[in-house]
Amino acid sequence: MNVTRRWATTLLGASLTMAAAMPALAEGDPIRIGYSMARTGIFAAAAPSQENAYNLWRDQVNADGGLALPDGTRRPVEFVSYDDQSNPANTVRIYERLITQDDVDLLAAPWGTPMHLALAPVLQRYKMPMVGNTAASVQLRKVAPGYIWFPTSAIPDQMGAELAKMMKAEGVTSAALLANELPYAQEFRSFLIPALKEAGIEVVVDESYPPDIKDMTSMLVDVKAKAPDAVIAMTYPSDAFLFAGQAKELGIEAPFVLSLVGPTIDAYRKANGASVDGIVSSAHWSPESDAWPRGKAFFDAYVEKYGEEPDALDSALSFMSLEILQQAVEQAGLEPEAIRKAIFEGSFDTINGKVEFEGVQNTVTPTGFVQIQDGKIELVWPAEIATSDFQPKQGW
Amino acid sequence: MDTLLSGQLLFAALVSGSLYALVALGLNLVYGTLRLLNIAHGDLVMIGAYTAFGAFSLFHLPPVISVFLAAAVCAGLGWAVYEGLFRRLLANPTLAKRVEANSLILFYGISVILQNVVAMTFTASSRGYQYLDTVITWGGVSMTGNRLLTLIVASAVCFGTLLFLRHTLFGWSLRAVIERREAAQVVGVNLNRVQLITICAGFAAAGVAGTLVSMTEQITPFMGFPFTIVAFVVIIVGGLGNIGAGVLAGFCLGLVETYGIALTSPGYRSILIYGLFVAVLLIRPEGVFSKAVRS
Repeated sequence: MNVTRRWATTLLGASLTMAAAMPALAEGDPIRIGYSMARTGIFAAAAPSQENAYNLWRDQVNADGGLALPDGTRRPVEFVSYDDQSNPANTVRIYERLITQDDVDLLAAPWGTPMHLALAPVLQRYKMPMVGNTAASVQLRKVAPGYIWFPTSAIPDQMGAELAKMMKAEGVTSAALLANELPYAQEFRSFLIPALKEAGIEVVVDESYPPDIKDMTSMLVDVKAKAPDAVIAMTYPSDAFLFAGQAKELGIEAPFVLSLVGPTIDAYRKANGASVDGIVSSAHWSPESDAWPRGKAFFDAYVEKYGEEPDALDSALSFMSLEILQQAVEQAGLEPEAIRKAIFEGSFDTINGKVEFEGVQNTVTPTGFVQIQDGKIELVWPAEIATSDFQPKQGW
Repeated sequence: MDTLLSGQLLFAALVSGSLYALVALGLNLVYGTLRLLNIAHGDLVMIGAYTAFGAFSLFHLPPVISVFLAAAVCAGLGWAVYEGLFRRLLANPTLAKRVEANSLILFYGISVILQNVVAMTFTASSRGYQYLDTVITWGGVSMTGNRLLTLIVASAVCFGTLLFLRHTLFGWSLRAVIERREAAQVVGVNLNRVQLITICAGFAAAGVAGTLVSMTEQITPFMGFPFTIVAFVVIIVGGLGNIGAGVLAGFCLGLVETYGIALTSPGYRSILIYGLFVAVLLIRPEGVFSKAVRS
């Protein structure tokens, strides 16, 4: 009996010591967050940048003891997710299921503009709030304010105006425009052309190309012959790789080279190395900013967990969207109407700085541009958030 | 006009053409010999690309070495698919009659499995690595090392295969199986052996193409389908099962695409490629070069 009691005391002591040594693991009924993800289909290659950020956030919250509620208690977070096969119709069905059958407590966003747009009426109907992330289109401005918000500031009309300002500031007088035929690039092109005209920048080449393009030689030979100060390639990821390789092959000498979507992806810099130093791209976040100290912590944790860098646009936005949700829940609890009110009225501290909404849009984060400098993503525009000065591209 | 006559454009056309020819070569070998519609062919290109990427990032093996590994991995898949699925189907005369249609569904399943296995192993994130991207200028034409390597390797494999088919006993047996399957068996061709080696070789060619693609493009688990489509366009334009004509058609498609875009605009790419495809189906459904090469 004595022996048993001694063993029991030792075990109890050991377990108490272990409990004290381990980080506070989340306990209690989990808070279930539902979302759909383009795990297969045309957006599948882009979606991990979003889901990785979600998983990192969940792990960090749970390691911290769980998602905090207004009464000070914490509950662990659990995800309920499905593959939407990159199809907006599936996204709608999945979110209806998440709300009505799975009975999730909160929602996180799916990948992509078409999915967000398709979801807005569903959220309105079921009165479930959702902070969006990876959507960017002027169409977002037409979404009726209610249960969806878009933290992005990479919306084509603002981007067109800002880019023209930036180019003018850098002394650009002529530009070649090459645009993918997909909607985001074409929207951007349609706002950029008038903005360039207003800034007095001459457009010497204006070509659009299909998304499945396999060779850009003839377009780039033309660009090279016209020798513009700037080449604005409105790329998606796959043609961003092609553009970088072939612009290098042909020795495009413009000091200002932009590639719209692609350069912030880790694989882009791994595949092109120092050749793409100096390429400008679209994003409003950089881990290098001292103004957002948690940004660097997010970057380091992401690299440690996944062995690759987060996408400066999509991963950052995805993480931000959950930070906003987290802070809204901490303030308002799990009741959807209370969360909605908290998001509408609140001010949120994210890895990209302060975020506040008016209608569906984030009114604080400025539209920015980044540049690859020594393999790092540096914010170079606008000046108030810049982490480095723009550097003219010096060869490939 | 200067652009049209430049060596730069010719180089670009030949790089695209050689890759199209190589991707189509594997598909054509498998269709010609086994009458299997391999719509997972592009996914084998993807497997080749991931093998090269994995070898480069994990073991620092350059693609000039990992290309053999990629070929072996894909050939291994060919062996598994043949022994596991098709050998018995092809040996049974009743089932063999339906194998062409059934193979479409079987390969669709294989395609889905391959994509998802790779997505689970490597994640669906796009991947890439930097290899031989120094620019060489020769006779006024700038060439990136990896694109020049693509042209050399793809052309060598295509023309090497054609020479092999023309000048070796196995090549004759293979051509005999393509042209007169039953007669080939009557004169003592080991059908099973020819079929097995051909499917392995066809898959291996896709693996080689994947390695070449991985040097210049981003790779993802879902990158294969466009290669399947282009391979089908090439072999239909050339003539189904006609290996030499398929290679020629691959190069022609590269030329039509590159020069067509230069003459019109990049927006016409699909119209040019599929226009050629539809025109061939209407005018010469047996393939543009089929008669010329066979005679």
